[in-house]
Amino acid sequence: MRDLRPIFEPKSIAIIGASREPGKIGHVIVRNFIDGGFPGQLYPVNPNAKEINGLKCYKSVLDIPGKVDSAVVVVPAKIVPKVLEECGKKGIKGIVVISGGFAEVGDYELEKKLADISREYGLQVIGPNCLGVVNPSTKVDSIFLPTHKMGRPKMGGVAFLTQSGAVGSTILDLVAREGFGMSKFISYGNATVVDETDLLEYLGKDKKTKIIVLYLEGVKRGKEFFRVTRKLAKKKPIVVIKAGTTENGAAAAKSHTGSLAGSYAAYRAVFRQNRLVEAKELDDVFDFAKIFDTQPPCTGNRVAIITNGGGMGVLTADAVIKNGLELAEFSEKTKKRIRETMPPTVNARNPFDIVGDADAARFEEAIGLAYGDPNVDALIIITLFQTVSLDSRVVDVVVKAAEDGQKPVITIALGGEYTEMQRRALESSGVPSYDCPNAAARSLAKLVEYSRFVKGKA
Amino acid sequence: MPLDFSREGISKLLAKHGVRIAQESVARSPDEAAGIAEKIGYPVVLKVVSDEILHKTDCGCVKVNLVSEHDLRSAYTQIMHNAGSAKVKGMLVQKMVKKGIELIVGGKKDEQFGQLILFGLGGIFVEVLKDVSVRVCPITIDEAREMIGEINGSPLLKGARGTVPVDTEKLAHLLVNVSKMLDENQEICELDLNPIIAYEDGYLAVDVRVIRCVT
Repeated sequence: MRDLRPIFEPKSIAIIGASREPGKIGHVIVRNFIDGGFPGQLYPVNPNAKEINGLKCYKSVLDIPGKVDSAVVVVPAKIVPKVLEECGKKGIKGIVVISGGFAEVGDYELEKKLADISREYGLQVIGPNCLGVVNPSTKVDSIFLPTHKMGRPKMGGVAFLTQSGAVGSTILDLVAREGFGMSKFISYGNATVVDETDLLEYLGKDKKTKIIVLYLEGVKRGKEFFRVTRKLAKKKPIVVIKAGTTENGAAAAKSHTGSLAGSYAAYRAVFRQNRLVEAKELDDVFDFAKIFDTQPPCTGNRVAIITNGGGMGVLTADAVIKNGLELAEFSEKTKKRIRETMPPTVNARNPFDIVGDADAARFEEAIGLAYGDPNVDALIIITLFQTVSLDSRVVDVVVKAAEDGQKPVITIALGGEYTEMQRRALESSGVPSYDCPNAAARSLAKLVEYSRFVKGKA
Repeated sequence: MPLDFSREGISKLLAKHGVRIAQESVARSPDEAAGIAEKIGYPVVLKVVSDEILHKTDCGCVKVNLVSEHDLRSAYTQIMHNAGSAKVKGMLVQKMVKKGIELIVGGKKDEQFGQLILFGLGGIFVEVLKDVSVRVCPITIDEAREMIGEINGSPLLKGARGTVPVDTEKLAHLLVNVSKMLDENQEICELDLNPIIAYEDGYLAVDVRVIRCVT
């Protein structure tokens, strides 16, 4: 296994290609390290500058006194080999090459040079042609996008691993907005030296990482990827989205199987076989990640739906069944309690429609009954905030119920600005909120499927 | 030792891995045909073997459901007559296959993940419905069971709407064995066992097609 700690936990970093000009990438990266409060030593490297952002600037890494753990490289592609040799001589082991202009533009020779030098000096290189890495716990942030243009998520348990920089930056921005906690963000570009399988192995061992989200275009070492994910997926959920699922290669096949088992079919086979959680859309990535991140494992599939709107309850019941889950049948005790405590307009049925005039107190009572029912494995709570009687107090009620952590509690709310505000409040307290019944049910179904796999029940 | 890609070679390889192929042999005379039919058991199918006849059924050069030696000998004569002036190499005697559910079991070598195994509804439905499941070889028996359960048509195998359920456990073992065979024979680039006819008490592979890897 590669030792990637110098990249993610460095005590000192050289930024090679640091710049004085605010519009340059090499400037933004230095700025982000300073603004992010990186506690270690920061060494800007640029042969034409004496000082950048108040930090002494060095002509080459070889001029830096003392040990340097890691380097971020943003020089033009042609100079990258020379810079890497210097890093090798300096004893820098972990390097992120942001610069593009290698195999992705057809320069395979330059890419090979990078690989050769890395091998010669034993360098661990992420990139080239990547966005960089973020480790909130060590305040390493080599992403060249300014923080005011792209948000940075708070610390948490989700690691994001992405081949594409553009998808990566979008994901990161959305993750920050959705209030996710993140353990690592890694954009790995051309994967010339360190590839997705190396990074998965690293994240598997990383104590801060609870779940892994992977955006994949292709893998470098299929058999290794298979071997590593087979073990890792049992320990940590891996949510994967594969780009390039449409195929054009069927014409070359000579048999039925040849035309049916194309490249994406092979990836799907690997995902299913090793129990990676496949997201088909970008939305799914967040929907799945947040339930895995916040909710307890759940091997039962009997769902209680609590709603203050009948129609939404029925739509959600449909979504629950379509996704292979079941509607829970309340116990006699629960039914009796419902008849005793709820207004006569409320039926003791599932979906549990506590009707349009439900307030936070009625929600609390209903949630308590459903949560305590042994026939219920998970709860979907629909809060339609458009009604007169519902306000932010119901958020506290739901959050309190979910804190128990024995059964998954997720919510559905659709609406305008007011609803969005309440949804954010729920999510920042660790209760996933969905704006569509199908997304909620699909995510819960994925959690159940994965939990059963881990418990050896599927 | 390199793999023998002839029809006999492939049949032997499959047999070694416990895969049953519909029995067949080429006869060069009515006596020989009768001997083969006796060995594999009636009913049988008789098909002309000739490079000059493309559509065997259309010209009456295929006779099915022959239940006795008398049927067989008379079919032999009829086919020879129907073949007319075409050069006949011999007659293929095949075991007549009972009706059942047509399935496909296939293999393909993927450039990233190596040998893949495929399972699905077979026969004429393969390309239309594309109702298949795929795994990386070799697979476990649980993975094989999951492959069978995963296709949309799996209720058909369990006996939907009055049909008899087929022996899915035997099919699962078939998948395990084929996956092992593919894993051990990396020279195989593509494999079709299509159709495989599934029955209440087993299955029969009717046709096989194997493509060798281009090295």
